Amino acid sequence: MRNRATIQGLGLSLPYLIFASGFVLFPLVFSVYLIFQRWDGMSAAVYVGLKNISRLFQDDLFYQSVLNTIIFLLINVPLQIIFALFFAVLLNSIRFLSGLFRAIYFAPVVVSGVVVTIIWQQLYGYDNGVLNSLLSGIGIARVPWLTSPTIAMPSIAIMATWKNVGLYTALFMVGLQDVPIDLHEAAIIDGANAWKRFYRITIPLLTPTMVLVVILSTINGFSLFVEPYVMTGGGPMNSTMSTLLYIYNQAFYFGHFGYAAALGLFYAAIIFIVVIIQRRVLKEE
Amino acid sequence: MSNAIHITALILLAMVILGCGPKTEQTLNNQRVVITYWAAPNQQEMMLANQLVSEWNKNNPDIHVRLQALPANQSTEEVLMAAIAAKTTPDVCSNIWPGTVPEYVRANALVSLSQFSDFDSLAESRIGWDRMVQFRSADGQYYQIPWKTNPVMMIYNKDLFKAAGIASPPRTYSEFLFDAQKLTSYSNANVGNGHYWMGYRDIRPIWWQRYFDFFTFYCAASHGHPMVSNDSVNADTNAIRSVYYFFQKCFSNQYFPRTTFQYDPFIAGVVATEFVGPWTISYIRQNFPDKINYGIGPVPVPDSSKGAVYTYGDHKSIVIFSTTRYPMESWRFVKYLLSVESDLKLLEIASQIPVRRDILKEPKFERFFNQNKIMKIFAEQSAYAKEVDQSYDQKEIFDSIAQEFEKCSVYGKETSDEAARNLLRRIKLIIDWEK
Amino acid sequence: MKKALLLTIKYAIVFVFASVFLYPFLWMISGTFKSDFEVMGLSLIPSHPTLANYLLVFERVPIMRALLNSTIVSVTITLSVVTFGAIVGYSLSKIKWSGAKYLTGFIIFTMLIPFQLTLIPTYLVIVKLGLTDNLLGLVIPNALTAVSIIMFRQFFQSIPDSLLEAARIDGCSELEIIFKIVFPLSRPAFITVGILTFLTSWNDVLWPLIVIRERSLMTLPQLVTVFVLGGEAETHLGAELAASTILALPIIILYGFFQKYFIQSFVTSGIKA
Repeated sequence: MRNRATIQGLGLSLPYLIFASGFVLFPLVFSVYLIFQRWDGMSAAVYVGLKNISRLFQDDLFYQSVLNTIIFLLINVPLQIIFALFFAVLLNSIRFLSGLFRAIYFAPVVVSGVVVTIIWQQLYGYDNGVLNSLLSGIGIARVPWLTSPTIAMPSIAIMATWKNVGLYTALFMVGLQDVPIDLHEAAIIDGANAWKRFYRITIPLLTPTMVLVVILSTINGFSLFVEPYVMTGGGPMNSTMSTLLYIYNQAFYFGHFGYAAALGLFYAAIIFIVVIIQRRVLKEE
Repeated sequence: MSNAIHITALILLAMVILGCGPKTEQTLNNQRVVITYWAAPNQQEMMLANQLVSEWNKNNPDIHVRLQALPANQSTEEVLMAAIAAKTTPDVCSNIWPGTVPEYVRANALVSLSQFSDFDSLAESRIGWDRMVQFRSADGQYYQIPWKTNPVMMIYNKDLFKAAGIASPPRTYSEFLFDAQKLTSYSNANVGNGHYWMGYRDIRPIWWQRYFDFFTFYCAASHGHPMVSNDSVNADTNAIRSVYYFFQKCFSNQYFPRTTFQYDPFIAGVVATEFVGPWTISYIRQNFPDKINYGIGPVPVPDSSKGAVYTYGDHKSIVIFSTTRYPMESWRFVKYLLSVESDLKLLEIASQIPVRRDILKEPKFERFFNQNKIMKIFAEQSAYAKEVDQSYDQKEIFDSIAQEFEKCSVYGKETSDEAARNLLRRIKLIIDWEK
Repeated sequence: MKKALLLTIKYAIVFVFASVFLYPFLWMISGTFKSDFEVMGLSLIPSHPTLANYLLVFERVPIMRALLNSTIVSVTITLSVVTFGAIVGYSLSKIKWSGAKYLTGFIIFTMLIPFQLTLIPTYLVIVKLGLTDNLLGLVIPNALTAVSIIMFRQFFQSIPDSLLEAARIDGCSELEIIFKIVFPLSRPAFITVGILTFLTSWNDVLWPLIVIRERSLMTLPQLVTVFVLGGEAETHLGAELAASTILALPIIILYGFFQKYFIQSFVTSGIKA
């Protein structure tokens, strides 16, 4: 009996087992091997010992890219939470057409990042961009959205927030609907006003959803690639060079596959650690 | 049960259909040799290639050349890299940027041209060893032969110069900056017509944009000095510094705007100078024939500079890939591409300068140069056209140049001393890693 | 009175933000019909509508071919992921075998590995298999996903075992059970996984950029990226917007009809994470 079940189980899992050996296990093992090689995508791989690792430690551009990604996250994640929460509460409190509005807020989520980036590149244009035209129309000075090394990454973070906030709004809306009404009613009887109810009941009960939003947007943020690739190419002055873009350039632009594999491993370790720490810290709050 | 089979069969069928992507094939024709030749995918060069190839095929029925445009893509280099990895390279390609040859040689992707018995005489007669030497590979052999050059010079708007009181095109950095100041004063005095700038550069840190500013000026300032030779840093540090400093002055004084235009500002008459090669001239002549009254001159050099003005040559070389089955026949075709008659077509159809010694003394070109004074100026300059060094990682080296250019020259966030130092340090890091 | 005022304010705010989300898309679409000099303008109505931008796009790049490529690739991937994800998910939830626990653990573990790590080795596998510049190279590495397996597994756990036992006693084979009983009951899961997979693969740009070099094989988002970055639009902004609109259109149309399912899919997958 047990054997039959095992055969069935293995048989039905076979597609995954085959797939995983070629596209999960092998790449994992191979990436560790690649770290000690120099491979340019054309010639045979050459053993270079610890060269890639030592270069990694001297590569200030790589650390710049990690810093850029962190800056992105520090702006994107809080903005997203604040606005998503705000929209969720707002949409939850109206009845007529709330579904339509939710769909509108969600629309940027499904559209390709390429489309969003192309549009926002024009919104952010310095001389004739839509945003700057609006600003100068009301007498405010133009903002160098994408041409200032300090403002460029925040601009991308804002665009990313615009794109994704609909998803997190929907998540918060689900979370809000889970808040039992009797708790609210009991609080009203106790004389608590709307704000107090919000702080004392809604927010604590929304905490699991907030944790979810933080973790999801962090993982998303570490994958930042299309936006800087299309919009700025990593500039100005490397301020928008995300780590994934840097790794991509090292591998597919400069042909340093071994070095890029080393960067990839290091970066994956960073992501792993950050996500684990986040999970621990946030789950305790 | 049948549903399962249906679905699985459908998926497998879909995958099989997908698998039949287009692949480059080498059709084996028993009667004659077929050579595949990749040319640059732009309109003029395709026109040139078509003419050259059809004439060859007419006169050489035993060696048939099949012309294909390089797959248009992110960049030629990526296409070639993928083709080399997949072993789908053609026999001959004429759009090779010399900066990539070291990597191709390391990948054993190229045939050594030195092995052909008449290579030396051809190189000597068409090009001359003094210009040929910079295309030699590390092992002393030649895996490429330079075909054409696009020497970068300064184009200037004669009418704007006249209006601003600039008598003649500037030859030195000081003259350039002085004239730029004159233009700015003129522009400020005539506010109604919009602002005029002395020049314009694409300020995004795109590495190949630096061909047309930093590297051109470096060649000029250093008289063709390399940056890397024999696997070590060997650069004219003073030249690096002065080039970064010059452009820093241009941007900080707002002679060059810190913006990206949606149109070509020189053609629009908004900037007075630009640094371009002959291809741009023919582009202007074809599309905007009488819009701008322009002149050509050498790029500015540091004040203390003496002697001929060097520039960046933007060369393209011809190579034969090692996947070829017909090296001898491919070499015969390559020699044809480098003949005087073919070079004349290169001038007439594609408006590019063949890499040819004593080009102005060639009788067959006399009529052409008499009718095309502008091309004549470029041809004169071509004798002093320098190409990038034959070392690995040229792209990443240029990327580093672009980084410092952005930081120091465009945004003024570091001094030219620091820029030079950082650049050399990063180049050393890149080179050492390859050793 | 106060309630009506509050409600009005709420709707006003909702409406303002709705326009913040809508205006950029409307601006893009209207821009595609404007001529060069007014593309950057703020108005949503072109003064002299023109189709020139679209014509430029169709002339310069094989955009319809790319649309076809994206469709073929995304549909195949979705079919594959959904089918195999369900089958494997079933084996991990409804078949009591000793390996199930370990395999499930392994699959969950692989979900934690950031893809940045395996990006380059996977590329090498594709090169060695000779699948660069081949649509299969896009499909195969994405043919199964851990997410889909886990989602199906979780969903199947809600199907009562007794139902399956009865079928077994009746003499049905496991595959018959899967296709005739379990699948029909799992429509929500199929829709969720299907939509998520389709959308992810449709919008993917990084992997096609790595695997595909030949223009005629590029996916739609990839081709639009190359078109915009490669300068063939020759700074005709309207053409760039036109390419971008063509890219956005299929998904927007699908979204228009099925938004409820889209939103639900994302929310479900988020919560399960």
